Amino acid sequence: MEFKTIIFYVLSAVAVLAALRVITARNPVHAALFLVLCFFNISGIWLLLQAEFLAMALIMVYVGAVMVLFLFVVMMLDINVERLRQKFWSYLPLGAMVGLLMVAEMGMVLSGKYFGLDAMPGQTMPADYSNTKELGRLLFTDYVYPFELASVILLVGIIAAVMLTLRHRKDSKHLNPGKQIAVKAKDRLRIVSMPVEKDQPAAGQGE
Amino acid sequence: MLNQFVTPDLQPAAPEIFLLIMSCVILFADLVVGQVQRWMMSALTIITLVGAAVLTYVTMDGQVVLTFSNMFVDDLLSDFLKLVLYVAVIAVVIYSRSYLVARNLEKAEFYLLVLFSTLGMMVMISAAHFLTLYLGLELLSLSLYALVAIDRDSARSTEAAMKYFVLGALASGLLLYGMSMVYGATGTLEIGAVAQAIYHGDANKTILVFGLVFLVAGIAFKLGAVPFHMWVPDVYHGAPTAITLFIASAPKLAAFAMTLRLLVYGLFELADQWQLMLMMLAVLSIALGNLAAIAQTNLKRMLAYSGISHMGFMLLAMMSGVVGGQADPFGTLNAYSSALYYSVAYVLMSLGSFGMILLLSRAGHEAEMIEDFKGLNKRNPWFAAVMMVLMFSMAGIPFFIGFFAKFSVLLAAVKAGYVGIAVFAVMMSLVGAFYYLRVVKIMYFDAPVDTAPIEAPLDMRVLLSLNGLAVAVFGLFPDSIMMLCTTTLVRSL
Amino acid sequence: MFGPVSLTHYLILAAILFAIGIVGIFLNRKNLIVLLMAIELVLLAVNLNFVAFSHYLNDLSGQLFVFFILTVAAAESGIGLAILVVLFRNLSSIDVDDLDSLKG
Repeated sequence: MEFKTIIFYVLSAVAVLAALRVITARNPVHAALFLVLCFFNISGIWLLLQAEFLAMALIMVYVGAVMVLFLFVVMMLDINVERLRQKFWSYLPLGAMVGLLMVAEMGMVLSGKYFGLDAMPGQTMPADYSNTKELGRLLFTDYVYPFELASVILLVGIIAAVMLTLRHRKDSKHLNPGKQIAVKAKDRLRIVSMPVEKDQPAAGQGE
Repeated sequence: MLNQFVTPDLQPAAPEIFLLIMSCVILFADLVVGQVQRWMMSALTIITLVGAAVLTYVTMDGQVVLTFSNMFVDDLLSDFLKLVLYVAVIAVVIYSRSYLVARNLEKAEFYLLVLFSTLGMMVMISAAHFLTLYLGLELLSLSLYALVAIDRDSARSTEAAMKYFVLGALASGLLLYGMSMVYGATGTLEIGAVAQAIYHGDANKTILVFGLVFLVAGIAFKLGAVPFHMWVPDVYHGAPTAITLFIASAPKLAAFAMTLRLLVYGLFELADQWQLMLMMLAVLSIALGNLAAIAQTNLKRMLAYSGISHMGFMLLAMMSGVVGGQADPFGTLNAYSSALYYSVAYVLMSLGSFGMILLLSRAGHEAEMIEDFKGLNKRNPWFAAVMMVLMFSMAGIPFFIGFFAKFSVLLAAVKAGYVGIAVFAVMMSLVGAFYYLRVVKIMYFDAPVDTAPIEAPLDMRVLLSLNGLAVAVFGLFPDSIMMLCTTTLVRSL
Repeated sequence: MFGPVSLTHYLILAAILFAIGIVGIFLNRKNLIVLLMAIELVLLAVNLNFVAFSHYLNDLSGQLFVFFILTVAAAESGIGLAILVVLFRNLSSIDVDDLDSLKG
């Protein structure tokens, strides 16, 4: 076995075990952490496939952002962990059977020499080849339309999340920066023109 | 390689760009206009849609134009579907307004999410690449998940949103798995290039069929066909009626476009395989949809099950395109144009029926039970007649648009040699006629339970009447509409 | 079987993750958050497929597809968790079996 093969088996074994623990873990926090482990290992496998940029993006986007969001939500909600487990084990044998059957069937299709790609060793790139640069070049030329669409999807994500979860508390006191900036001197300071008051010399003291 | 990039021609995508810019304008207008002048939001939305319709109509030239590095296609089919789409969304905006105002749900977010999902549907309709198809689908679905939960203090709506989200995300996963297999087998993600690769025999059939199973499962989820229909009744029932109206109408056009682009444009060579899968979906949907609808007391749930059976009919047409491995050009075209005809007819009828529920609802009263329609004839004879037309058309009684839609689908199925299935579909529609006619019966022969006068704004009354008239009048010219569908498809293939 | 790593190895690994994700969705009758995580596993399996094909086909479009799936999945889990929070406020539970008010 060459070194790369050993790495592949170690990474994928850990990834599969972690994935199994995600769906069987008793505590949602543990499930989230096992999912992080699974993502780390798959990211390593992507490095074996020479997809350096995506391997890094997976860690940053998923582990850095999405899983942290999951953990926040788990901790925000007060979940009764004990109650969550009650019926799990009664479903497990059936679930395991279905899962194994699925893997066996999919494996049968995929392990045939159908792709004709197995013969190919997978290309090796010159040392100065930059995966990130190539992806970036394509992203901003041929893929500019999907790129814009992805930005719209993220905008929808923002709007939807704010719409669903933002609540204005009636008792909160806050400043309105827009109003603060729009304030003009004349709103705060009133200049009243008044008739000039002169010290009138005592009337009657005539010339 | 760097020099091969051609700056995209933006003109074919003008409606999409306009819609996106206007959505951003509305987003900012909400900050300025604020809570006070909400009517401006709906006015701006309608102006946006009309503007997009004008742009689509003006740039329509009947040519097949590919742009954005072959990711976007502008053909007659996409222009036609988009024009119907704008009409449907305008109707949704007008029908929903008073319902939303009465429930204090008329937020700018409603209009924004409706516009973004419209954009998603337009992207799907014009997709020439798996990636744009997927992104359009997600733009549509994500907006819809949020719209279902728009009444966030209602346990029923949020529950429906959660179910919709989980099953929708699962469906996207299946669809993507299928796409990855097709990519592996053909080495490309462009729909046209996929078709080329399969045609030249470069791709392995076993892997393609393996991927196809996942693709069809994903499509069936989005269409709501049995056995992937579990979400449909719950979401239709649980969502606020205005949102149900939206989900039940316009997205069906996009789902039709997705089916056509993936299966017909991309995987036509595998028609024998996918037709078999669609046949199973169609038969099950027609049977279960009609049978389950009988037992319903809630009109929204009943229409959900009837929608499942209508999607079954649409699939019945899609599976009749190729006979015995031979694509007879006339028969194929006829089958797909009847599927197009059926989708458009269903959107019209669905808009009208859910519009009627919205018409009868008012603050504190949903009017979603079938018995709420009791004695409608005594309360308002005109709208009782409109509802009758809609129910007759859905049941497939001559001579309304629904009848000719069903008729052309059945004709295509018989021509393709599926006589047994066509007979079965007719039997099931007869069963289905029962529950539609029950609604008509209680409108005309039962005493009203609810005697409150019908209050609805004028624009809604006018549009709903026009909607009913369209269902009746288009039924008088079935040939010309069928011609239109056929011409559209001929110039787009 | 233990020969040099080939495309098949990656595809089978993806198939195993995919199956674990699907089984996780149907097995978890009790916890919606774990259900959302199972969906992430399904998407991860798909991504692995695309990256593996992209490498062996010597074609970058598969990797770009993964880039977009990651972006969309982030937005998707944002909306999913927002719906979950709203649901928890209404039901005080994230038990799948408590989602039973809609029936018929």
